Amino acid sequence: MSYQTFDIQRSITRKQTVALTGLLLILFVIAHLAGNLFIYGGPETFNGYAEKLEHLGPFLKIAEWGLALLFFVHVERVTVLIVQNIRAKGGLKRYIVDNSKGPRSWATRLMPYSGTYLLLYLIWHLYDFTWSNHEGSRSIINGKSYGLYGVVVNSFKDPLHSWLYVLAMCFLGLHLAHGVQSFIQTFAFNDTHVTRGLKKFSRLFAVAMVIGYSSIPLYVLYVLKV
Amino acid sequence: MSKKINLTLKVWRQKNCQSQGGFETYQAADIDTDMSFLEMLDVVNERLTREDKDPIAFDHDCREGICGMCGAVVNGQAHGPMKETTLCQLHMRHFKDGQTLVIEPFRAKAFAVIKDLSVDRSAFDRIIQAGGFISIKTGQAPDAHAIAVAKDKAEWAMDAAQCIGCGACVAACPNASAMLFVSAKIDHLNTLPQGSAELKARTLNMVKQMDQEGFGNCSNEYECEAACPKTISVKHIAKMNKMHRQSNLR
Amino acid sequence: MLDSKIPQGPLKDKWTNFKFNAKLVNPANKRKYKILVVGTGLAGGSAAASLSELGYQVESFCFQDSPRRAHSIAAQGGINAAKNYPNDGDSVKRLFYDTIKGGDFRSREANVYRLAEVSNCIIDQCVAQGVPFAREYSGYLDNRSFGGAQVSRTFYARGQTGQQLLLGAYQAMMKEVSKGSIKLHPRTEMLDLVVIDGVARGIVVRNLLTGQIEPYVGDAVVLATGGYGNVFYLSTNAKGSNVTASWRAHKKGAFFANPCYTQIHPTCIPVHGDYQSKLTLMSESLRNDGRVWVPKNPGDKRPPQQIPEGERDYFLERKYPAFGNLVPRDIASRNAKEQCDAGRGVGPTGQAVYLDFADAIKRTGPELIKERYGNLIDMYQKIVDENPYKTPMMIYPAVHYAMGGLWVDYTLMSNLPGLFVIGEANFSDHGANRLGASALMQGLGDGYFVLPYTIGDYLAKNKPAQAKFKDHAEFKKSEVDIKNNINKLLSIKGKRTVDDFHRQLGKLLWDKCGMARNEAGLKEALKQIPQIREEFWKNVNVLGSGQELNQALERAGRVGDFLEFADLLVTDALHRAESCGGHFREEYQTPEGEALRRDDVFSYVAAWQFNGVGQNPTLHKEELKFEEVHLAQRSYK
Repeated sequence: MSYQTFDIQRSITRKQTVALTGLLLILFVIAHLAGNLFIYGGPETFNGYAEKLEHLGPFLKIAEWGLALLFFVHVERVTVLIVQNIRAKGGLKRYIVDNSKGPRSWATRLMPYSGTYLLLYLIWHLYDFTWSNHEGSRSIINGKSYGLYGVVVNSFKDPLHSWLYVLAMCFLGLHLAHGVQSFIQTFAFNDTHVTRGLKKFSRLFAVAMVIGYSSIPLYVLYVLKV
Repeated sequence: MSKKINLTLKVWRQKNCQSQGGFETYQAADIDTDMSFLEMLDVVNERLTREDKDPIAFDHDCREGICGMCGAVVNGQAHGPMKETTLCQLHMRHFKDGQTLVIEPFRAKAFAVIKDLSVDRSAFDRIIQAGGFISIKTGQAPDAHAIAVAKDKAEWAMDAAQCIGCGACVAACPNASAMLFVSAKIDHLNTLPQGSAELKARTLNMVKQMDQEGFGNCSNEYECEAACPKTISVKHIAKMNKMHRQSNLR
Repeated sequence: MLDSKIPQGPLKDKWTNFKFNAKLVNPANKRKYKILVVGTGLAGGSAAASLSELGYQVESFCFQDSPRRAHSIAAQGGINAAKNYPNDGDSVKRLFYDTIKGGDFRSREANVYRLAEVSNCIIDQCVAQGVPFAREYSGYLDNRSFGGAQVSRTFYARGQTGQQLLLGAYQAMMKEVSKGSIKLHPRTEMLDLVVIDGVARGIVVRNLLTGQIEPYVGDAVVLATGGYGNVFYLSTNAKGSNVTASWRAHKKGAFFANPCYTQIHPTCIPVHGDYQSKLTLMSESLRNDGRVWVPKNPGDKRPPQQIPEGERDYFLERKYPAFGNLVPRDIASRNAKEQCDAGRGVGPTGQAVYLDFADAIKRTGPELIKERYGNLIDMYQKIVDENPYKTPMMIYPAVHYAMGGLWVDYTLMSNLPGLFVIGEANFSDHGANRLGASALMQGLGDGYFVLPYTIGDYLAKNKPAQAKFKDHAEFKKSEVDIKNNINKLLSIKGKRTVDDFHRQLGKLLWDKCGMARNEAGLKEALKQIPQIREEFWKNVNVLGSGQELNQALERAGRVGDFLEFADLLVTDALHRAESCGGHFREEYQTPEGEALRRDDVFSYVAAWQFNGVGQNPTLHKEELKFEEVHLAQRSYK
């Protein structure tokens, strides 16, 4: 039998591309959280971390462009997949009774929606923090500029701002709760035991991320005195 | 103990693949709870025929849950509400008196409706043709004991080989993906030493054919496993994913 | 007298001699021949694949939506072979002898010996195809014992051996389809055999989706269309199983042999109600660990657990101490009927006996029983809603297998040159009773290892002739006949449904020509069948048209044929004034109630020639000569 290897249009290859980019994005999410947690160390620690990142210079640019590429591939591949899936089931309407025998969860059902919200949030988040003026009026607390730290604190002192962030992190949690175990299944690191433990791990990890990230705006909003 | 129940059926009626279908409502009175689902449909059809109404077309053959010919979606669930059960082995004792049952064909772009509840599953045959076999000709076989197969491997292969090709996995998958069917066959043959020589070609070609038939992508929701009357595990999908990855790269 | 064309020489050399003397078709010429294979079960599937591998053009037909659905798939227990892996004294000769004896000395010695010879190759072939047979911890194949044998020679794949073997054959077919050398015609039903100057030249089929009537011309026609058990309406056969292909070939001149040999399988789930559409078999392998019993006192309605050991009658163990619960099927069935007729039957209808696993569970633990029979027990639980781990199963015999079928000679060719018949559709290997795990062996033996040789011999002696007969008037005539028949069924528009007639016929046959038969009953049946037939053609209601998927029309055609075939079945049963295997005539039994054969008069195959519907068929005899085995009354005591 003749055969063709590495055809990126194959459904499994596409899924594995999504899974691989997803994994790298998860690593980014962990690293980013680790960085964010410096905020608990106060303005010097946090700004010091931010400066160190900026001193990386060209490496930071490569990392940023790499990250952008990851996001793009992840989203593009998923979009193709969703369009194909709708076509495969013969349109959006299928059975008139919506009922399932299986373990289908809200996290899985909401994957495309949580993903879309995260994407929109991400763009705003970049505009809001990454590309904003770190020394401008938003950085001033009690008449003194605190750099990026000030921007973050001032932003999160606004309850709407904070809760939009928390909501985004909840969607991130939902996305990860399915995403992590889905990655392991698609990459088949556990080809003989798809266990309940795996799903539990996936959920625990998601919860940890949600708590980690959400703690920051909530800390700023309700705990931090300035 | 058996008793009699009355049911309302909302059944998908469609004259052929070109025509637009729609639901018709029928009363199924005095249904014995010991009947199988298909026997209930038989009774309804006999009554329809006596009223000179076209009976409901549905596929079925062995009626003991092994040929894989029967299947429909009952109240949104492929093969009805019971796990590990084909439609022919689903008994009416699992329904309540006065209940309404919505009966629809397995729906997927790759499964065109032929008539009423009968669908075209020839895509499955074409997937098998793409590599779901071991290319040995009659007469070439060595003695059956020439190769020992570890018991756990043989059992694993048998777990996968139990697939009856009914298509419930596709019907239940929110994406109409055929991954469970395809992985069951791929994993059955790839696990055995006899089938390992063709592992790469088999895996890549069957997946390619699956895609070309217009089935959806797997998104790991495991609805297929829950609907499978033979409880084929999604472990086989993981295994196929792995073999596909390895075949792609090597 | 019919010529069975058995090769010369001692029994064990006959097949070898045949193969050596057979004419061969040059490999380059094979692709000029076209073979039409009807049916895709174990026999048809394996034959189509093997013939295509040899280089012939093959066209394969089945009425199901895929070849993988043929009813061979439902075989549960296993497949026999004389491998002697357990080292318990098996051999080709012993398998041969067991099969001849199991068939109550009404099968052809040479065929059965050949079957035993090829049995080992089947296992080799299937293992190489990837059939996941049960294995021991060593990694080598496991065997179990089965009814009618005292050695363990049955290979199995859990309770789904038929499925796994069929998938093996199906996959081999799909391999050939992908190469383009088999053309597949699913959802296609054969409705006529075309015979030109006494030679089978093709078939005419109906496309079940479009209703199109299509002719196919070929150099040989292979019927692998299974048995006629559904003539009884309730049987373990699939709902679609039918006699149509065989019967229409019979009407075109092929002889039908031994139709009265019908096997009633002892371990089936008892009938529930009038709506019942089919009966479900529980593999007879259950009798390995299950003990069959009834209460000693007639009318004992206590739940089984409350009946003390002393008030139970393990009647098979009592009457047949050597074989116990593992006596052949016909004997087990008849004994169950005897107990129920005497009022000792159990269950709501009194038409059942217990099959009890309590002792086995005590001995081995429930895990092992679950491992061995888990899927069967689950199936029983689904249907009956009782748990066999706690309450004994209830079983009753049901129609299962047809030993009779179209007559074939040693080469599996019928009396019509060019028409080959394999698997259950022919009559050849099981005599008057088939042993468990032998049907799979015969189907695959015929398809993989016998037909490819014998059909080659026939084709080598005949030039490819499709072009010559493609537009022959016989094909046109056949098409017209089929269309007329369909139009007639659609135009009656009577009051009764097809199933209604089928049930009526089935009940009549079960009562008069079932597990026990007598002259008066058979004569009564012969009177009533034509009446049912006549009413059918006046009062059946088939709706819809012939140009679409019309399942009622398909069934009507099949029931129409059953109504004609039933005459022949009963005629044969009436003529065979002896008891043998599945054919038990009440007038002919030993003082202990066992079947009494009359070898001096009936040691022959009865092959019937069709003379018209309602006309008496002509009897042709093939004498059965036994050179190797000694004729004896079967004893399993």
